[in-house]
Amino acid sequence: MNVAMLTEILTSGVAFAIPLLLAAGGESVSERAGVLNLSMEGMMLTGAFAGVFASVTTGSAVLGAAAGVLAGLIFGLAQALLSVRLRADQIVVGVAANALALGLTTFGARVLLDGGKGQGVPAFADIRIPVLSELPVVGPAIFGQTALGYVCLAVIAALAVVFSRRTMPGIRIDAVGEDAVSAGWTGLAVNRIRVLGVLIASAAGGLAGAQLALSEVRSFSENMTAGMGYLAVVAVIAGRWKITGILWAALFFGVARALQFALPAVGVHIPYAVLVMLPYLIAIVAVSGFVGSRNAPSCLTVPYVGRV
Amino acid sequence: MTTLHIRHPLAVALLALAASALTGLALAAAAGADPATVVDALVEGTLGSPFAVGTSLNNAALLMLVAAGFTVAYRAGLVNVGGEGQICLGGIAATAVGVSLPDDLPLPIGLTLTLLAAVLAGAGWAAVAAWLKIRRGTSEIITTLLLNFVGLALVVLMVQEPSLLRQPMTSSETLPQSERLADSAHLPLLGLPRNPATIAVVLAVLAVLAVGIVLRHSTVGLRLRSVGLSATAAARFGVPVDRTAFLGLAAAGGFSGLAGGLLVASTPFVLAEGFSSGFGFSGLVVGLLARGSMTAVIGVSVLFGFLVSGGINLQLAAGVPASTVTVVQSVLIILIAGAAWWTSTAKPANRSARADHQLAGDEAGDEGLDSGAVVRKPADDETEEVRA
Amino acid sequence: MTATTAATEAAVTTTAMLSLDGIGKSFGPVRALDAVTLTVRTGSVHCILGENGAGKSTLCNAVYGTVSPDSGRMVLAGADYRPRNPADALRAGVAMVHQHFSLVPTLSVADNLLLGRDGFRPPRDALAKDLDRIADSYGLRVDPRATVGALTVGARQRVEIVKALLRDPRLILLDEPTAVLDPAEIDALIETCAALAADGKSVVLITHKLGEVARAADEATVLRAGTVVGGGRLADTPLSSLLELMLGDKEPIDPASRPRRVREPDDAEPVLRVRGLDVTRADGSAALRQVELNVGRGEIVGIAGVEGNGQSELTSVLSGALAAGAGTVTLDGVDLTTATPAQRTAAGLAVIPEDRHTEGMIAELSIAENLAMPRLRRYRRWGLLDRTAMRADAAAAIAEYSIRAPGPDAPIGSLSGGNQQKVVLARELSTEGLRAVVAAQPTRGLDAGAVAFVLDRLRAAADEGAAVLITSSEIDELLAVCDRIVVAYRGALLGSVPAESPTAATDIGLLMTGVPA
Repeated sequence: MNVAMLTEILTSGVAFAIPLLLAAGGESVSERAGVLNLSMEGMMLTGAFAGVFASVTTGSAVLGAAAGVLAGLIFGLAQALLSVRLRADQIVVGVAANALALGLTTFGARVLLDGGKGQGVPAFADIRIPVLSELPVVGPAIFGQTALGYVCLAVIAALAVVFSRRTMPGIRIDAVGEDAVSAGWTGLAVNRIRVLGVLIASAAGGLAGAQLALSEVRSFSENMTAGMGYLAVVAVIAGRWKITGILWAALFFGVARALQFALPAVGVHIPYAVLVMLPYLIAIVAVSGFVGSRNAPSCLTVPYVGRV
Repeated sequence: MTTLHIRHPLAVALLALAASALTGLALAAAAGADPATVVDALVEGTLGSPFAVGTSLNNAALLMLVAAGFTVAYRAGLVNVGGEGQICLGGIAATAVGVSLPDDLPLPIGLTLTLLAAVLAGAGWAAVAAWLKIRRGTSEIITTLLLNFVGLALVVLMVQEPSLLRQPMTSSETLPQSERLADSAHLPLLGLPRNPATIAVVLAVLAVLAVGIVLRHSTVGLRLRSVGLSATAAARFGVPVDRTAFLGLAAAGGFSGLAGGLLVASTPFVLAEGFSSGFGFSGLVVGLLARGSMTAVIGVSVLFGFLVSGGINLQLAAGVPASTVTVVQSVLIILIAGAAWWTSTAKPANRSARADHQLAGDEAGDEGLDSGAVVRKPADDETEEVRA
Repeated sequence: MTATTAATEAAVTTTAMLSLDGIGKSFGPVRALDAVTLTVRTGSVHCILGENGAGKSTLCNAVYGTVSPDSGRMVLAGADYRPRNPADALRAGVAMVHQHFSLVPTLSVADNLLLGRDGFRPPRDALAKDLDRIADSYGLRVDPRATVGALTVGARQRVEIVKALLRDPRLILLDEPTAVLDPAEIDALIETCAALAADGKSVVLITHKLGEVARAADEATVLRAGTVVGGGRLADTPLSSLLELMLGDKEPIDPASRPRRVREPDDAEPVLRVRGLDVTRADGSAALRQVELNVGRGEIVGIAGVEGNGQSELTSVLSGALAAGAGTVTLDGVDLTTATPAQRTAAGLAVIPEDRHTEGMIAELSIAENLAMPRLRRYRRWGLLDRTAMRADAAAAIAEYSIRAPGPDAPIGSLSGGNQQKVVLARELSTEGLRAVVAAQPTRGLDAGAVAFVLDRLRAAADEGAAVLITSSEIDELLAVCDRIVVAYRGALLGSVPAESPTAATDIGLLMTGVPA
């Protein structure tokens, strides 16, 4: 294992982790407020598709990214309507919405994007920050992102700051997700806060999908998110709904992913499947309270009934 | 919201069906196919040949099993999202047993052993989540969901490692899948002409009927129900709450595991990556939509089973992407789920006792009961009592 | 001690803070409020009095905005008042302290207090200043850093009150605030109310306890079955008339009107024995301290006392819902201390639980199912439920206990409270080999007819040889049916007052204040 290999692993890991962390960060806001979005997969896929489609149509990657966020928001509006206003079962809606998004984007790719080949998609180029990107190992991994990548990092940081437990917004969403009835008695607009949570999650998911499509893969293919949305939900669980935990979880998942190619080259034979399993096993251990104790928000997936 | 007077669940379902069908036709038009072609292709794909019908029924059978198991656990207040993973474990166990059996073993014995292994494996997988729920209070929604992915990865592991279940590698191109199961573990066909329907269909219908009877007419069913409605009161009544809940979730896993075993014991009789094909998730959706009614379980399973077959033919015959069917199915599900508040307002007591109690219960609890007035909270079970 | 002085006696000049005119509200077929009209004056403590089920909570909720009235008008400080939700009410200067508390258990006291505020940065310094101000003005002190989940009930209520006060309200609603407090805490609360009124705020106190009204209120309004039946200033209105208004045409149970049972003192071994029972609450305080109790065969023992002195914990330990830290419970020599509910039933212990809704019945199940649940084995035929037999047994119970219900298959949740309790009684009192009955607050929330029925049945069970233990906060009911009465006070059982003693009521009253007899 030499420096080049380490750099390679870290770069690959961080590349995977950024959209994952972004989606997970947004989802954690929603879940802390009590709404589970199993449809994060669909949100990301929609963002990716919209991003590529807009980029190809307008010729501008920036507009593509904006379209990705917008598509995520629209998805989020529908999701919020179902989960919060209509109090539909969040698991059913989540799974169905994923299938819907997969179906629609596959259909769209077939019909609108030339069979989904998406060649020649205007995308973002890498921007290497001088000096910092020359740092050994860490340099290229963190400081060699595209413009959109840096935007993602900024959004992640913003989410962490705005919704930390020390701010009013952070306290509010925690209250709403932990004990919605008491929060309502206190005068908080519970459902409005929850809708906002879903919108944040979906916008983040849309942006994450755009990042995946326009900065990394630079095209759209059927089901290109390949489970990353579900992994985002898992990262939230593994990080126990705290941004630092989620950060570590996302990084770990990314590195684990990268290792599956690197390890055989070094002669370590851990089956790829085991590496795939690892994130989920960690999440199970984390959520079962074997290490430390912090449970899921008590009102997670429980709809709130307002006035009588 | 408009004041439509249609509140009956069946009416809502039909409306949703119509809306999603229209969506499908619209998408097909966008793909360049006119409605007539679409309908033709659908019909041909679903009912047009014995092959199509048989395949659809086989699919329906698997969905029925997962959904029936889901309902059993749901009665006890536990939500089993882990059907997919339990199918995987069932498939793994069935394969492990099935490839080790001698070819000349009588079919009933071989098949029973294979399927039994599948049931136990599925039940065991669910038991992990059940144990965590009972001992650590961890939400079974989360644990069963996570175990899905572990199960899927386990299948990949099994079929990629020659030391595990992978067929002997004669060359680097040997497919990553298991050996063929012994003949004594092959699921027999129903014997209808040119029809691939297996006895799985019969098994599934019997299982669903059995679940229906047990839930409504047996002591076990009443105990399960009591635990799901009010664990505290059930405990006072002498019901072993933890044990009942545990067995309920394990049973759900057993049903899904059986589905996995049946999958593996049907053509092509091998275990391969992705063999579960989303049946776990689809079965979960069927279970949630059916709301505890076994009739609905059968109905919706058949509908979904046929939709899948129709979709495949849609692509072959009309050139409409198969994803159209996925879209139609999803729209249907979302519409029904979204309209759920219209037809019923309750949720399993386990999950939100405090919320219900505070808003509705306080009012009802304090006001007017003594004057003999009737105050009722509509319950999930009421709507299903009428339909099942 | 009242807050009004002679100078403000002239009612005409004292301004009205809140006026309700013709307020009505129905929940489906239930008419919870009907043409309620009343006025709350500025700077006064106004009690809304009524039995359980009279509509007091609904009225409170209507003023606070969680429920919207179907008819009528509300005027707050001269302006039309129509809150659509609690946020509106809070903005208008109306705050409420809830019966079940509105605090998020996982957050700290400070976070809970800041919850309703706008803005981004939590104003912790401003909060600290406000807390100091409130502590100085009203003597209410809370620890901002404590986690709410770890606080005692009394402490939580203090936080709730502080939370209401932080909004600087003009009107404060307190819904049954003393239900969970011990005597010292009740005194503190009454003083706080007086201080608030003296400060020019209006305090509305919802309660069904006449004694508190006497000590705390300037004015009272009596609600019965959703309407105002009377009231007035405490200075002008005798308590007895308020009591009459509350009860209407119901007769309070007169101990003298029931023929006293003659029971031979039994020297035999007591059937139900409790020894050295210790129970500690989640917050570390002692709920029960080394409690000893004996109930003999055919004896009826009553436990009197204000709720919160350990009675609930005692009955919970006896029913098996709560584990004791130390001590033993034996029934006819059988050690039941750690027995499961099934084992207790097998040993002949019947329990009528305090919280009927969560422990005594399952609302969605039918009457027949509720009756059969503890002994399902009896109804098993070829592995399936023998519903015909279940129905038949249920019909018999319905007849015997005069339960008003559409039939054995009706969901028990659709019955009135009294009838539900009858089903619970029917089930428990028909336990095979009944040896002891533990009845926790069995008459709470029931109308007079149902109360009499329940007490009669408990007496009948004792006549047939069961040892009966009843906890109740209604002394007159206990006096009517028990042989002797002990008083729960801060986790201990004091005294043993024979019911037929002429000074029984006074003795019990004394013991309830902690004075050993």
